[in-house]
Amino acid sequence: MPKCIIDGREVEFKPGQNLVEVAASVGIEIPVFCYHPGLTVVAQCRMCAIEIEKMPKLQTACSTPAAEGMVVKTKSDRVKQNQKSVMEFLLINHPLDCPICDKSGECDLQDNSYKYGDSYMRTTEERRTYMDLDMGPVIQKSMNRCIHCTRCIRFGQEIAGIHEMVAVQRGNNTEITTIDGRPLETDYAGNYSDICPTGSLTLKDFRFKKRVWYLKKTPTVCEGCSRGCNMEIQQDANTVYRCVPRTNMEINKYWLCDEGRFNYQYIHDAARVLNPAVSGGTAGLQMTEWSQAVVAARSSLDGKKPMVLVGSDLTQEEVQALQQFLNKHLSGTPIFHFGTPGVTSTQKDGAADPILKRKSKTANLNGLEKLGIKGFESVPSGVNAAIIFRGGRAVVPELKGVGTKVGVGVFNKPDAEDFHAILPGTSFAEKDGTIFNFEGREQKFKRAILPQGQSKNLPEILMLWANSGAVGGAA
Amino acid sequence: MAKLLSENFYKEMGKLEPRYPSKVALLLPALHEAQKETGWLPPEIMEEIGTYIGIHPAQVREVASFYTMYNLKPVGKYHLKICTNVACCLRGSEELVDHCKKKFGIELGETTPDKKFTLMEEECLGACGTAPAMMLNDDYHENLTVQGLDKILDGLK
Amino acid sequence: METYKGETLFIQHFKNEEARSLDYYKKKMIGYESAKKALAMSQDDIINEVKKSNLRGRGGAGFPTGTKWGFIPKQSAKPKYLVCNADESEPGTFKDRDIMRYTPHTLIEGMIIGGFAIGSNVGYIYIRGEYTREFTLLNEAIDEAYKAGYLGKNILGTQFSFDLTVHRGAGAYICGEETGLLNSLEGKRGEPRVKPPFPAQSGAFAGPTIVNNVETLASIPFIIQKGGEWFSKLSKIEKSGGTRLLGVSGHVKKPGLYELPAGGVTLRQLIYDYCGGILNDRKLKAVIPGGSSAPVLTADEIDVIYDIEPLQKIGTMMGSAAVMVVSEDYCMVKLIQRITKFYAHESCGQCTPCREGCKWMEDILHRIEHGHGREQDLALLLSIADNINGKTLCALGDAAAGPVSSFVKKFRGDFEAHIRGKKCPNA
Repeated sequence: MPKCIIDGREVEFKPGQNLVEVAASVGIEIPVFCYHPGLTVVAQCRMCAIEIEKMPKLQTACSTPAAEGMVVKTKSDRVKQNQKSVMEFLLINHPLDCPICDKSGECDLQDNSYKYGDSYMRTTEERRTYMDLDMGPVIQKSMNRCIHCTRCIRFGQEIAGIHEMVAVQRGNNTEITTIDGRPLETDYAGNYSDICPTGSLTLKDFRFKKRVWYLKKTPTVCEGCSRGCNMEIQQDANTVYRCVPRTNMEINKYWLCDEGRFNYQYIHDAARVLNPAVSGGTAGLQMTEWSQAVVAARSSLDGKKPMVLVGSDLTQEEVQALQQFLNKHLSGTPIFHFGTPGVTSTQKDGAADPILKRKSKTANLNGLEKLGIKGFESVPSGVNAAIIFRGGRAVVPELKGVGTKVGVGVFNKPDAEDFHAILPGTSFAEKDGTIFNFEGREQKFKRAILPQGQSKNLPEILMLWANSGAVGGAA
Repeated sequence: MAKLLSENFYKEMGKLEPRYPSKVALLLPALHEAQKETGWLPPEIMEEIGTYIGIHPAQVREVASFYTMYNLKPVGKYHLKICTNVACCLRGSEELVDHCKKKFGIELGETTPDKKFTLMEEECLGACGTAPAMMLNDDYHENLTVQGLDKILDGLK
Repeated sequence: METYKGETLFIQHFKNEEARSLDYYKKKMIGYESAKKALAMSQDDIINEVKKSNLRGRGGAGFPTGTKWGFIPKQSAKPKYLVCNADESEPGTFKDRDIMRYTPHTLIEGMIIGGFAIGSNVGYIYIRGEYTREFTLLNEAIDEAYKAGYLGKNILGTQFSFDLTVHRGAGAYICGEETGLLNSLEGKRGEPRVKPPFPAQSGAFAGPTIVNNVETLASIPFIIQKGGEWFSKLSKIEKSGGTRLLGVSGHVKKPGLYELPAGGVTLRQLIYDYCGGILNDRKLKAVIPGGSSAPVLTADEIDVIYDIEPLQKIGTMMGSAAVMVVSEDYCMVKLIQRITKFYAHESCGQCTPCREGCKWMEDILHRIEHGHGREQDLALLLSIADNINGKTLCALGDAAAGPVSSFVKKFRGDFEAHIRGKKCPNA
């Protein structure tokens, strides 16, 4: 591999690699704002300017490919002076409202200012201000904080494939915006906030909810579709506050769709059934104790011919445990998987857009097929009851002629009013597990929060079921 | 949606289209042509241009707002753009601006209530040897004096 | 008062309303004979002739034209383009306008030859939006040329075809920067591009592209007609060939265009001998020698040969050969404030130092001019200018910073008088 010299160190690089990346590969940080590895290079912010031997002017590291024998200085006086100057320029019109800014604590502007800026300010002029128009339900815009890095504009054009976020006017008056307060159209709008190096584009969903330094981060895999994008759950005190993409160049690169990003919201939905519940006749679902609910669930199946429906939003471990359980306690019961209407097999899955989204709106369709489970098409003749195992995503199909329904897992009250019993289970954030994405890629994720309310992990529920035999039922 | 731009607009654009390897290159000519018809560029017109070229209306706006000659607000029948850049300043263009402000009772960037005159300050028009200069709609007027300017303005209907 | 009696290319045809017709061009000027000659030459021979001529870019950078043409790859999968920069937006500059309105065929013929030399079949003239009349006149001349078979398919019976289109800008100084111009041509915001790649590799519509100024291209037919050596000898200085159209404006008795041999006069001769001296016989205060982005000269610095290298040596530049003359009664602070306001207004806003710095300097200068200056402002101005200079994406930052530094350094007393007196002494 060719080599160059950065700050006196010999560094190997891949031809074409730019100096920001080459330096980073050996732990040398060159600060950036406009540069983003997933977007085109524009060299606008000038923060990454470095010195290259034999070149009179400073060069932007982001736009300069490393070359054999190139001698680069990233910490010379000239470089440091330029960094101070760029920080000063960026801050003369910035409101410095960090105390009320959601980006505070994870803000490139704040961090780079601390590391590379000066501790005093020379400007006394009036600051530039803008009036913000709305941008739709996902993004809150605060143009006064913007540093014009244009990452968002490039994201729109290059990744989301829509030219909706634009720069209007020019020069010192340049404003980054959609036009006339139009809502953002892309289903990937959350990324605008991720890549914004300041608090100019923040998530409405996360606004004023939590200071970011209190958030604990757990790597996970999105359960929103069969792609399995890598993401991070960020929580505090067992409450999930947001999900953000985790870079995986082979799956989702740096991005996440809004559906996946905000999917977590059902975890804390007030309508989620978090207590064992049984049918109270016309009074609807009634909360009860676990032991009573299990008995009610079992006894509701007495004399019935049940089938088992298993959501393709469950993990490999859960389904394997379920299969063992069924062999032992309900052998011969037909079992089908369900998830997305119309997508009853991986064959029927496919890209839902040119970016990330897949047609299967559950994450483990592939895994369930590997375990030999067939997709649910229609209720087999004679079947008049169903035990439905569900994570947070699978859409329960219409079940004609099924009078008795028992739900195990995550259910919402309005959807489960006619169930005989609900045994509340856990969402992806509340458990460990393995899933197989559409390509057959095996991915594991970690529990981020404790099970909410009275909900329990599936193996535990199955255990309760099995052990309740002494009290009643057929098993 | 009914078209706001004339058949002539589409005919002119049709003539220009083969001259460029990309249709987006028609954007500046299209904005010029549209402004010729409507005097300024309301959002609906820019939307129609975007549809014609096949680009998002936001893309039309970002381009149109970059250039000072595209009027994103209505202007008066007579659009005065007085150059106040170096050469014109040295030859007394500020006097002309002050005179117009007083004469019309408006500030720079404003239009008279009767929508007749819009007064603007212009950057260098490239007529420095014949400064001070101004544009009145599409035409240049050079070697201006207050008296000369008055004569031009008073001759306008 | 002096008038130049030697050979000139353009100026004798200016102000003559007859001159722009093809008929006149054929009778009194070159009449596409150079195009005919060039189409029978090899591409290399043409480029060599241009190199020999010492023709240097007339837009402001002064880069040797033949060398530039030599950068274009011989083979290219993508179409190549020849683009004429007729944006003429550097304050003080008004020469290309006269070429386009009085001798448009010199430009058209120059583009045909240039197109052939670099292997391009498509040319664009990017003209600033304000030049509506020149836009019309150019289009009329192009129509004439098409009808006469000088443009279009198989020009003059050869295998060479060349189409030429005039593209109007819409009011943006930055479109005079060649990559900003190319973006504007493509229907985008006129924001300069990161270089490399340079236009010769990837320019208009991602094809290899040469961008030349109007006067540069309009000089080509003369070079082909009489030879590169003849052209180089028109000048009075090494390294620069031909005559130059000098635009003089501001406080001189006879402002306007002068065509003189490159390096043929000093600034003093130009101002006092050709332009008749200072208006109202006042004293000279300052000269901005190459468009408003050129660092200013004091009255003591004008015995300099007016050409690229001599001006560079004294820390300023010839730029687009636009000389702006300022007499003693004009406030230098007001002047630099106006210049800085221009660059702040025209900054595209992409890169940090230019977007933020130009406006900051303008604000400070505005304060000083209006009596709210502080002692530390001058050091601050110099420091901001320094932080912009050489650190921006394109040359606009330098164009804004250079004048501020030079005004503050050379006319410091004027600034201090404003700050201490808390008002403009001229007001």
